[in-house]
Amino acid sequence: MRHLLILMLLVAVPALARGDAWTPEQMKAATTMLQVSEEGGKALRLDGDAVYFGDDALPPGLADAARELIRKRDAGVPVELPRRLNPHPGATPKVVVAAPVSSDFGLTVTAPPENDGLNLKLAWTAPTPEPLAWAVLRGPSADGPWTVVTADLPGPTLDFSDKVTTDVEDERPRDSYWYRVVALRALPPEQVEGEDWAATLLAMGAANPAVEGRPIAVWFKTSPGSLMLLALILGVGAMMLLFTRQARQGKEMSIRRIPGIDAIEEGIGRATEMGKPVLYVPGIDELQDIQTIASMLILGQVSKTVAEYQTDIIVSCCIPIVREVADEVVKAGFYQAGHPDAYRPHNTRFISSEQFAFCAGTNGIIHREKPATNLYLGRFFAESLILAETGFVNKSIQIAGTAEATQLPFFIAACDYTLIGEELFAVSAYLSGDPRLVSSLKASDYVKVFCIAAIVVGTVTVTLGSSFVQTLFTIAGG
Amino acid sequence: MYDLLQRFQNMDRRWIFAGMALAILIPLLFPVEFEFAVDERVSSLYDAVEALPTGSTVFISADFDPASRPELEPFFRANLDHLFRKDIKIVMATLWEFAPPIAVPITEEIAAAHGKEYGVDWVFLGYKPGKELAIKSIGENIPKTFPTDSRGTPVGEIAVMNGIKQAKDFPLLINVSAGFPGTREYVLQIQGQYDLKIASACTAVSGPDYIPFYKAGQLVGLSAGMPGSAQYEKLVWAESEPPKGTRKLATQAVNVLNLGHAYVILLILFGNIAYFLTRPKEVSDD
Amino acid sequence: MRSTVPLIITFFVGLFMVFEFFIPHWGYHWVTAEFLEWGLILAAGAFVLGLINLVQVNLPKVINRDEDWGYKLIMLISLFLTLGAGLMLGQEGRQDAGEFYKWLYDFVFTPLNATMFALLAFYIASAAFRAFRARNVEATVLLVAACVVMVARVPLGENLPFIGEKLPQFMNWIMDVPNIAARRSIFIGAALGAVATGLRVILGLERSHLGGE
Repeated sequence: MRHLLILMLLVAVPALARGDAWTPEQMKAATTMLQVSEEGGKALRLDGDAVYFGDDALPPGLADAARELIRKRDAGVPVELPRRLNPHPGATPKVVVAAPVSSDFGLTVTAPPENDGLNLKLAWTAPTPEPLAWAVLRGPSADGPWTVVTADLPGPTLDFSDKVTTDVEDERPRDSYWYRVVALRALPPEQVEGEDWAATLLAMGAANPAVEGRPIAVWFKTSPGSLMLLALILGVGAMMLLFTRQARQGKEMSIRRIPGIDAIEEGIGRATEMGKPVLYVPGIDELQDIQTIASMLILGQVSKTVAEYQTDIIVSCCIPIVREVADEVVKAGFYQAGHPDAYRPHNTRFISSEQFAFCAGTNGIIHREKPATNLYLGRFFAESLILAETGFVNKSIQIAGTAEATQLPFFIAACDYTLIGEELFAVSAYLSGDPRLVSSLKASDYVKVFCIAAIVVGTVTVTLGSSFVQTLFTIAGG
Repeated sequence: MYDLLQRFQNMDRRWIFAGMALAILIPLLFPVEFEFAVDERVSSLYDAVEALPTGSTVFISADFDPASRPELEPFFRANLDHLFRKDIKIVMATLWEFAPPIAVPITEEIAAAHGKEYGVDWVFLGYKPGKELAIKSIGENIPKTFPTDSRGTPVGEIAVMNGIKQAKDFPLLINVSAGFPGTREYVLQIQGQYDLKIASACTAVSGPDYIPFYKAGQLVGLSAGMPGSAQYEKLVWAESEPPKGTRKLATQAVNVLNLGHAYVILLILFGNIAYFLTRPKEVSDD
Repeated sequence: MRSTVPLIITFFVGLFMVFEFFIPHWGYHWVTAEFLEWGLILAAGAFVLGLINLVQVNLPKVINRDEDWGYKLIMLISLFLTLGAGLMLGQEGRQDAGEFYKWLYDFVFTPLNATMFALLAFYIASAAFRAFRARNVEATVLLVAACVVMVARVPLGENLPFIGEKLPQFMNWIMDVPNIAARRSIFIGAALGAVATGLRVILGLERSHLGGE
């Protein structure tokens, strides 16, 4: 008898709530729940938390049966559901008898600001009672056909961000999309291939009329933070060109000497005197990292100097493509110095792309080839100290330069000279002595002064309660 | 005396290595335990996990390798136990190619101890090359980034992936990070854009680098190195025992560090004493 | 011409990629994503060149019995053994216990990797002993800060008499205030340096990577 009552509940409630005849999808959902309840005569539970019934749509007998069900549940009738219908094992179930969910959700669909044209933001108001879950449907027109974007937003959810397409090559974004949100009164069954899942979901809840949304693809970010950043970059570029022009006109640019950079040429001289090679390690990061790029620029200057001093340079590379670029740079340096015959292709070596294997290989080079000068210029990680200590044991002069703050202490402890952060990016300008490159250092120095001023002004204004400067430097997300 | 002090300053570093070896071995053989407090950053991480609703799903990016295993495996084990205990589901992936052979067996072991089922309670999506690009891709579209899990099952057929499309579908992301790519890249690439809650467990060397992110609210918790892992173990297993096959590794190891750190400090101290006693008085400091 | 064409390509592609940050439109990102994929393909292709370079450099040394030729022979054998195991066993093979690749990982790679990392503990002791001398005021401040942090990071520090309670607080102050200030300033300076370097390359001011004039 109890099973029959439950069957009646399951079959009758959705139909009564909607006032329509049962569709095949509703029958399937009900059958699934019935199978669950038939497992040892256990009570029904949906979502581990609540069962919703349309109270005023139930005939009196079924409403009494629902309340009887609640009483039994409150008395602690044990429930076991298949996992996919019971995602909250151990949660205390409750049964709620509630009115049907209305379908007036006040859905709005808007385009986020400064967007790529692939996102829309949905927002709606909370209905009474709160549904079990929400489904979001998207279609090309107000009449569909509908695609299910998501079917398991939790009940309290009142907004959702939709990415209309994740592969613009396969599916170009449209000018507009139509949305419906469905307040689900029961957990949807698993999607069956070929099934009209959107129709199933619509049958299981109340959905709003379709609302149109138009994604807006913005061509240029105009937030204060983005404009400030662009201004800074253009400012550096413009000042570079200005100072370059002044340098061409003969104006002298003085920059403070950095002992570590001066030591590079001294180290190359030392290597020549001792008849030993120079070891150059451009870091272990990919070619696209700016520190590796800076290292390649420095390598160009260093290899030219090495060729002029008629000594050897060994370049130990962790990334294969860095090895290819380094090889070309070293070759160009030797050619530029007028010593193409001295270029040795096998001195630019790929060791291993695995960090510690590379470290062990480079240590092997240090032990065997006994370089007089070691240059570690680029991005390093944990292998930095191992390399530097091995070089120390070999009694090499060691000059390191990195913007990787975590490794600076190790280099400072183990190397003779360490170039910190931006000093690495200044090396190629220093070594070349080219006034145009030196002038670019002055440009970045002026911008640094601006940054310092902005920090001071910003700190004062924020302390006084104004957020103007803060807003000016905040770059909004996409 | 002067010669002795000079020889001390210039001693063969193998003596220093031998001393360090003893400083590690002695506390391993004769453990001495000290009480330690829990850092606010580790507490925040613990609280972030405690605040997760039962049945929710988190994303773990297990980005470490054998070299960093001693520092990060203890946290990883404690975190998995913490999550499974709260019936929280796990979607795991990695940006480091040498992580899967470590991360997967550990997760299988702890999941089995909790009776958790692969595909229903946790899934390993695999290794994704591309570093920052992979992270951006995870932020945008996870099923596109990982069309199948590491066993070749399409993600659409995996129960734990139901409803998961992007990183922001997770209430919490946990990054067990040994370096690059890791926490910094997650914060810079996707944290702000999607307003994600990210917690990080990192090596001791990287800890100072990530403190600014924690202070700025970009990380909800931070566990740095062995001490951080030990503090997290203390919180997770304050009133329970680790699952079978897991020990309080960091708690044991952090007490070994006591003598190691003391040894380095004493070396520095005596080195400076010898330096001052042998320094020529007429040489001026630079 | 030989250096002009690369400079022109660098200029236009460089500017195009810089403006990616400021132009959110999906069409623009579609093109930049293509460029990035080309870069990834080139980098992947370079692995083959790296393999060739490894063999080219080391095989003659084995054949000629140069210094340490035995290590190079082991390296070449390991290289082709691992390459073969990876190619034949694939992704799953790496994660399934019992496969040869996993065996190599567990019993060769992992111990070697862990050993190299463990060297750091010894090297930092010898580097600290050598480098941490109170030669001047700045070096003394560095020395004291390092010792405070080292002691306070382990349980021993919290249990020291008299200073045990205050030491972790002082350590946290060092980490939260001067440490963060210094790191942020290094970060800002490095970022500006990176911008300047990037612009130098894009604007063609820096040409040493092309061979110069």
